Amino acid sequence: MSDVMVDHTQKLEETAVPNNLEQQDKQDEEQPQQSVQENAEYEDEELHKHLVPDIIQLPLIPPSAVEFNFASYFAPDFMKPGNDQYVYRHANGLCVVGLASTHLAFKDKGGITAVDFNVGKSDRSGMKVTGKRKKNAQHFESNTALCKVCTNGDSYIVRCCVKGSLLEVNERLIKQPELLHSSADREGYIAIIMPKPADWLKVKASLLSLEEFKKLRVLC
Amino acid sequence: MSNEVESAQVSDAMEVAQLSSLAAVDSHAGSCEAEMPSRLLNDAVRSLPYHVVKDLLSIGVCSRCVLRILGTEDHIYCHSSFSQSMLCSVLEEVTGFKSECDFQFCSVCLGVLQLIYRDDKETLVKMESPNDMALVIAELVKKEGHQIDGFSLEVSIPQFILENESSLLSGMKKRYESEPWLQERLLSKCVSVKDVLKFAITKPLETLLDTKASASSFRIRLAYTHKMAFGNSVERNQGFKRRKIGTENGLQNVNDESVVANKDCSDYPTNETIAVTGRSSLKVPIDKVSEPCHLVYLCYRTHIYLCGRYLKYSRNVSQTRWIIDEERMGEASVEEIIGSNILPMCRGDNYKFHAAGREDIDVRMLGSGRPFLLEIQNARQVPSEETVKEIESKINGLENKLVGVKNLQVVGSQGWTLMREGEAEKQKQYCALVWISRPLEDEDVCSISLLNDMQILQKTPIRVLHRRSPLERKKIIYWMKIERIAESSQYFLLHLCTQAGTYIKEFVHGDFGRTQPSIGSILGCRAEILQLDVTDVKMDSE
Repeated sequence: MSDVMVDHTQKLEETAVPNNLEQQDKQDEEQPQQSVQENAEYEDEELHKHLVPDIIQLPLIPPSAVEFNFASYFAPDFMKPGNDQYVYRHANGLCVVGLASTHLAFKDKGGITAVDFNVGKSDRSGMKVTGKRKKNAQHFESNTALCKVCTNGDSYIVRCCVKGSLLEVNERLIKQPELLHSSADREGYIAIIMPKPADWLKVKASLLSLEEFKKLRVLC
Repeated sequence: MSNEVESAQVSDAMEVAQLSSLAAVDSHAGSCEAEMPSRLLNDAVRSLPYHVVKDLLSIGVCSRCVLRILGTEDHIYCHSSFSQSMLCSVLEEVTGFKSECDFQFCSVCLGVLQLIYRDDKETLVKMESPNDMALVIAELVKKEGHQIDGFSLEVSIPQFILENESSLLSGMKKRYESEPWLQERLLSKCVSVKDVLKFAITKPLETLLDTKASASSFRIRLAYTHKMAFGNSVERNQGFKRRKIGTENGLQNVNDESVVANKDCSDYPTNETIAVTGRSSLKVPIDKVSEPCHLVYLCYRTHIYLCGRYLKYSRNVSQTRWIIDEERMGEASVEEIIGSNILPMCRGDNYKFHAAGREDIDVRMLGSGRPFLLEIQNARQVPSEETVKEIESKINGLENKLVGVKNLQVVGSQGWTLMREGEAEKQKQYCALVWISRPLEDEDVCSISLLNDMQILQKTPIRVLHRRSPLERKKIIYWMKIERIAESSQYFLLHLCTQAGTYIKEFVHGDFGRTQPSIGSILGCRAEILQLDVTDVKMDSE
């Protein structure tokens, strides 16, 4: 352990925060006593000992932020065969919805070419939700259309899956539809919905857990 | 007739007895006053316009109010040994007034200056001298266990009393307007009921508490209230109007009801008015006062503040008490650890914890620590510098080592300015344990260190979106440094300094791409944050 510590101290000098050192220099000018600088260095070392983790304790691949903070649910063949969607629910009740990796759109040869939020009665990308109370948020049913995902040959309607207030849609998909390919489960999310507690309980019954979904789709 | 003589003799005897007891008092207090208090009093009384005194006494004004309203200096009649009955008899004796009916309570001050009140048990209390009231207060201070080096005395009285007084004064000005003494005595503002009472009680209180009256955080408050004062002021005014009908001052009756009511003149007690032809009547707006004021004695210390910086070594301790559905989140809170150790040393009622910003329960607060302010309510004792140092050592020496404290000290209200400073504008420094989905290259270390004063755009993180407005916030990352961890190619320490209000966790993992740029987007891979520590909260003043 001590070897590791020695290494770190050396590394700290190399990669050390320049600002801190500058501040210490200034201090030296004002108080030309050795002890002040020594104290500051000692405190930094003490602090540093707290910061360095015990590597052995750390997992090789840590859980992702999504895995850690959200409960994953899946809606297979939602309203239409092949329409697999995910619902990631945060402890605070908010749900992030998007395309599961097994969605039919990903099987299309040409890939996804466009995402259009102008479906149903309004353009979902145009709404502005404001304030803590989420004024102006539209209330949608679970089968309300969120957007249309277009491929070379086909187009697919993505739906809410959860009844609630629409807080946000992922506008980046308009300019960067390829996000759906690179990370449909993170940067490629479709929308954020806020269901009422009672509505969530109702919908939860019809969703699958990750385990159940994997079995269903025969994934590893 | 014989009654009068007898009573005159009795009152003479009383006066002699009083004067001799005063003499005893005088010889004791002689060194303080230039002349004997009793002589000053007698001189003052003899200089009063007797007919006015009689008029006032006959409408139920108490002796202290009479002296006060007629401009007598308060130190003359406020000597703590001058009892109620003594003052009363001196006035009556000199003016030859005989009180026929018993006015229990003064029609102006409602008994306040007669030292009569109802206590919290509804018992009627009649104190003889201001000294007795001072004793009650001193007992209360002792019972509460307050350690004081000064006190500030406050008296609050119902607004009603001031209304009484001002209507009496305007009545007097009209009635006696041509008289010579009026200029000198009435037209300068008379000492208020509050000030007289405070004056009377302060000296004996200083002696009993062995300390001086000053602007102090320790407050002694006499709170007088009166049932009638809570009555509908409309009701009061209507009653007012009813009685004012018939004065030559030509106060018009607006209300027909009042005219009708006026016809039943016989209902009115005649002793409250003095019918003298050609002169306006002297009235007070209320009838014989049947109830005195209700008095509550209060003594308390105003808030004292302790400030300092706290450190949080645990990832399972919240900043403030956090309870959801009756279950506590985390094993403890900074607020409770600090508060529960300081409160008993101050023997206070309650504490309130304020900090310059906050960190999540799973984030440690290290380095210089975060400034905090602890407000203690009604402390019985202000801790000394030594005691404060002891408290600091105690908290830092706690076995579970969850929290630490630095620079603990008692401060005045400037503590608040220190807090405000730490909040919005300041820079905060962090150290994050980051994992990326590919090995770290030297290039990465270099490129990160070159990013200075980088602006990022953060949409309200999903984890707080349920309770905060959906906004896009611009924040600045001042500098960043990667510190490699030996034996790991994908874990590293990220040191960074950011603008206050930046969500660090989201800056690392990107929050579904809603924070742009993020560490992940800068390094072109997936990034996760495992641990976060605050290493510095920069404050201007230090």
